Amino acid sequence: MKILVAVKQVAALDEDFAIRDDGRDVDSDFFIRDLNEWDDFSLEEAVKIRESSAEPVEVVVVSVGPDEADESLRKCLAKGADRAIRVWDTCIEYSDSIAIARVLAAVAKREAPNMLFAGVQSSDQSFASTGIAAAALLGWPHAAVVSNLTCTPGANLAVFRRELEGGLLHEVEIQCPAVLTIQLGINTPRYASLRSIKQAAAKPIEVLSLSDLALGAADVGEAGSSSRVRRMYVPDKARAQLIEGDAAQQAARLAQIIHAFKGAAS
Amino acid sequence: MVSRTDAVTRILFEAFSAAEVRLFYLLGYAAIAIFGYGVYVQIRKYRRGAALKLEGGLWARFGAMLSSVLSHRTIERRDRSAGGAHRLIFYGFVLLFAGTATITLEYDILEPLFGIRFWHGQFYLVFSLVLDIAGVALIAGLAFMMYRRGWMRLPKLDYARPDRVPGDPDFDRPQYRREDWAFLWILLIIACTGYVLEAARLVWLQDRADIWDTRWWSPVGALLAEGMRTAGLGERGAGLLRHGLWWFHGLIALLLIALIPFTKVKHIFTAAASLMVRDPLAAQRLPRIPDSQEQVGAARITDFNWKQLLNLDACTKCGRCHEACPARAVGAPLSPRDVILSLREFAKSTLESGVLPDAAELDIHGKAPGQVAMETLWSCRTCMACVEICPVAVEHVPIIVQMRRKLVEEGAMDPLLTKTLQTIHKTGNSFGESKRKRGAWSKALPFPVKDARKEPVDVLWFVGDYASFDPRNQKVSQVFASLLQEAGVNFGILYDGESNAGNDVRRVGEEGLYEVLATANVNALAGASFKSVVTTDPHSYNTIRNEYPDFGGKYEIEHYTTLAKRLFTEGRLQVTNPLKYRVTFHDPCHLGRFNKGYDAPRELLALLGCELVEMGRCKANSFCCGAGGGRIWVPDPVGAEKPAQNRMKEAAAIPGLEVYVVSCPKDLTMFEDALKTTGNEGKFVVKELIELIREAIPARRAEEVPA
Repeated sequence: MKILVAVKQVAALDEDFAIRDDGRDVDSDFFIRDLNEWDDFSLEEAVKIRESSAEPVEVVVVSVGPDEADESLRKCLAKGADRAIRVWDTCIEYSDSIAIARVLAAVAKREAPNMLFAGVQSSDQSFASTGIAAAALLGWPHAAVVSNLTCTPGANLAVFRRELEGGLLHEVEIQCPAVLTIQLGINTPRYASLRSIKQAAAKPIEVLSLSDLALGAADVGEAGSSSRVRRMYVPDKARAQLIEGDAAQQAARLAQIIHAFKGAAS
Repeated sequence: MVSRTDAVTRILFEAFSAAEVRLFYLLGYAAIAIFGYGVYVQIRKYRRGAALKLEGGLWARFGAMLSSVLSHRTIERRDRSAGGAHRLIFYGFVLLFAGTATITLEYDILEPLFGIRFWHGQFYLVFSLVLDIAGVALIAGLAFMMYRRGWMRLPKLDYARPDRVPGDPDFDRPQYRREDWAFLWILLIIACTGYVLEAARLVWLQDRADIWDTRWWSPVGALLAEGMRTAGLGERGAGLLRHGLWWFHGLIALLLIALIPFTKVKHIFTAAASLMVRDPLAAQRLPRIPDSQEQVGAARITDFNWKQLLNLDACTKCGRCHEACPARAVGAPLSPRDVILSLREFAKSTLESGVLPDAAELDIHGKAPGQVAMETLWSCRTCMACVEICPVAVEHVPIIVQMRRKLVEEGAMDPLLTKTLQTIHKTGNSFGESKRKRGAWSKALPFPVKDARKEPVDVLWFVGDYASFDPRNQKVSQVFASLLQEAGVNFGILYDGESNAGNDVRRVGEEGLYEVLATANVNALAGASFKSVVTTDPHSYNTIRNEYPDFGGKYEIEHYTTLAKRLFTEGRLQVTNPLKYRVTFHDPCHLGRFNKGYDAPRELLALLGCELVEMGRCKANSFCCGAGGGRIWVPDPVGAEKPAQNRMKEAAAIPGLEVYVVSCPKDLTMFEDALKTTGNEGKFVVKELIELIREAIPARRAEEVPA
C-alpha cells in the first residue's frame, strides 16, 4: 500500500511586515517558514497506518514549492515519511489552488497511491480547496474535514468520521483510491527532534519539473489558474471612542460627531 | 617492662590438629575464590557498559579519592553523627583488617619463605593494644548505626518509593532493610566474638607467663578474662570455648569476605572507585553525543558507560539525595536514590548473567521493576542537589538527562514542552516572539545600548530569554543597563544575534536543538568584539561557561553579581542610600551549586547595608525554585505543592523578613508567583538583587530611571 501525503511549506508573518511592491503579497523577507499545521496531522495519520500495519506501507510526501520547501520535507522525513518529492518550476509561481491541484494530481497519477491525504487547508492562504480539486482532476472519490480514520491496508474501503453541526458524527465509507483532507486533532503529531531532522538530511528529496509530469507552462501559474489575487492589504482599523461626561455633555458631543460625519459625507 | 622474647606473640593454631588447620586453609581459599569470582562478575558487568575515556591523571584521581575516604569529608556532610559513626567503623575495620593481614603476611608468606618474623615482642603488644581499641571503635560505631536504623526513624532511610504505590513489587523493598541489618549484625558478631575469643584464650593459657603477664595490652580481652575467672571458668573450659569460638569467628569472617562482591559490603570497593572517577562538572557540563553515534540517549542499560554502571553499585542508600531532591519534597514521583537503585537492580538482573540477554530485555524505560517511568524522568529539575550531596560521587543528572534524550527522540513528553521546543527552534526563544524584538526592552532607556556586533565593547552582556522578553524581568534588565551606564562600563548586547542559550534545552534532553543554539550563539559571539561576557541569567552563565568550550566558544565570563561587586570595590558605584532591610538570599542552582557563586551576592547585600538572615537550606543546599531542567515550560500538577511554594514557606518562617532576594530571572518569575499563591503577599516582597542595588544608589538624574 502507498499513501501520498501532500504538504505545504507555509509562511507565518513576523511582528512587522511589509507588502511586496506589486501589492499582491507580503514581502517574503518577513516570512517565517514552517510546515503547514494541518499537514503535520495528515502525515502523522499516514505514518500511524504504516506503523500498525502488518503489510508494507510506503508513505510518500509531496510538496509543490521552491528550494526552501526542502526544509519542511526534511522535517516530514524525520517524522517518518519514506520518500519525499518536490515539484518546482519558476512558472509555477502565482498558481492558485486549482493549478497546484493539477500538479498534485499529476504526481498522484505517477505514484499511483491507494490514498492521497492533504490538510483541510493551509494556514497562510486558507483556500481549503487544493486537496478536493486534486480529487476532481483525478476523478477519485473524496471527503473533506476527516476527524477519524480506520484504514486497513489491502482493503478497498476506508471508514472515516466527520464532525457535523450539533455534535453529530458522520461515519462514512469510501472506495479507494480516494482523497481525504485531514482535520486538526485527528491524532497527536510526533515531535521531530533536531537530531532526527539532521539525520533525515541524508535522505534524498526527488525534485521533479513540469516536464517530468507531462505538464506545460500553460497548466500552471497565472495561465493555469482560474483565479488571480488582485491585491493584499491591511484594512484601515475601525475607530471607536468612549464619550465621557454627563448625559447632556454626551448628547452634545454625539450631535457634534454626527454633524461632522454628515458634513464629510456630503 | 616486657621482655623482648620470641615467646610473646599471637596464639594462632595452638592445640589445633593438622587436619583442622588444613580444613581452615581450604575454607579460606574457598572464600577467596568466591570473592574472586564475584569480583570477576562485577567487572564483567561494568565492562558491558559503553566505553568512556576519563580525563585527568590516575594518581591525581587516586589522591583525591584517598583524601575523601580518609577524611570522611563527604560522608559527614549534613549528617555529622552518621559520619562520625561511619568513621569509627571504617577506622576500626581498617585497623583490624590490617592487623589480620599482617599476621597472614608473616605466618603464610614472610616466615615460611624467608624466615622473617616481626609479630612478637613489643611490636606485637602495641599492635594488640591498637587492635583492641579499634575493636571498641568498631562496636561503638555499629551500635550507633543500629540505634539510628532502629530508633531514629529517619525519613531518608525509609525505602518506600515516591514513584511506586504500596503493593508494587519494588515499593518499599524490605530485602534492603534485611540486608542492612544483616551487615550490621555480622560485623558486630565478628567484633564481639573476637573479644570473647581473646578473653577465653587468656583464661585458657593463664599459666603461661608470657601470655598472662602481658594481658593488659589487650585491655578489653583482659577485663573479660577477669570476669570469666570470677564466674568460675577454668582453663579446660576456656580451652574448649576458645576452640569453638575460634571456628565460629573464623567462619563468619570468611563468609563476610566471600559475600563482599554480592552484597552491599561491596561499597568498600565501589564507593572508593566511584569517588576516584568523579567528574567535578558532571551536571554542569553534560556529555556530547558523537556525530558518528546513531543511537541518541540511553534506551538500554548497556547504553550507560562503565562508570555510570559503577555509580549504580556505589550507592549506599544513605538517602541524602532523596532528602535533598526538590521534586521528591513536593511529592513528585521521583527520588534520585530510587532511579539509581532501580537501574542497579536492572543491571544486576541483566548484566551479571553469563550471557548477555537480548536487546529487548535491556530496555530501561517503563514501569516494570528496575525500569524508570517517564513521569519520573520528567519530574527532575536538574538542580544538581543530588549530585552535590552524594557522598560517593554518584552522578544522577547525566543519567537522567541521557534517559530523557531517548524520550525526546520518541516525542514522549508533555505536549507543552513539545510546543516550546518547536517554538525555540523556529524563533530562537521560548516566548515565540520575533527575533527582531529581542533587544526591544532597551528602547525604554534614555541612552542607546550598543550593538556589540557593530561596535567594539569591553563587556558583552548575554541577556537571555527571560530577561529579554518577560515584562517583569525586562524592568530588571533596564535597571541593570542603567547601572552599567552610570558606572561607565562600555557594554553592549547582541540584539537579534542572540538566541536562547540552550542550557535548559540541553537539560530537557533535546541535544540536537542544543547543538543548533550553542553553535548559533558561538557564531554570533565570534562576530562581536568584546573583552568579557557578563550574564544576568545563571542558566546562560552555566552553559556558556562550562559547555560552550566544547563547541569552540571559550570566553572570560562572569555572573553580574561579581561584576557589580567589583564596580563597588573600584568605587565606580557607591551606596548613597544604605538599605536597612532584613533580607534572605536564595542561591540560584546554576549560580550557587553549579558554579560556586555563593559569596558575591552576599557581599553585595552587606555593601548595600542589608541584614542577611540565611534560610536553613542555603548555599550548596539551596532549594530549587522548580524551574530548572525545562520544567519552567511545563506546568506543575494542579493541587500539589510546587517547589517554589515550599521554599516560600521556609522564607516566611524568618521573623521580620522584608525582602526575599533573588539573582536569576526565572527565580523572580517563580517566586513572585509563589509569594501570591502561598498567601505571603504583603508580608514581604521578592526582589532582584539588581533592584536593591538601584534602591541603594538613587539614579543621578531622574530621566535615567526607566519608566
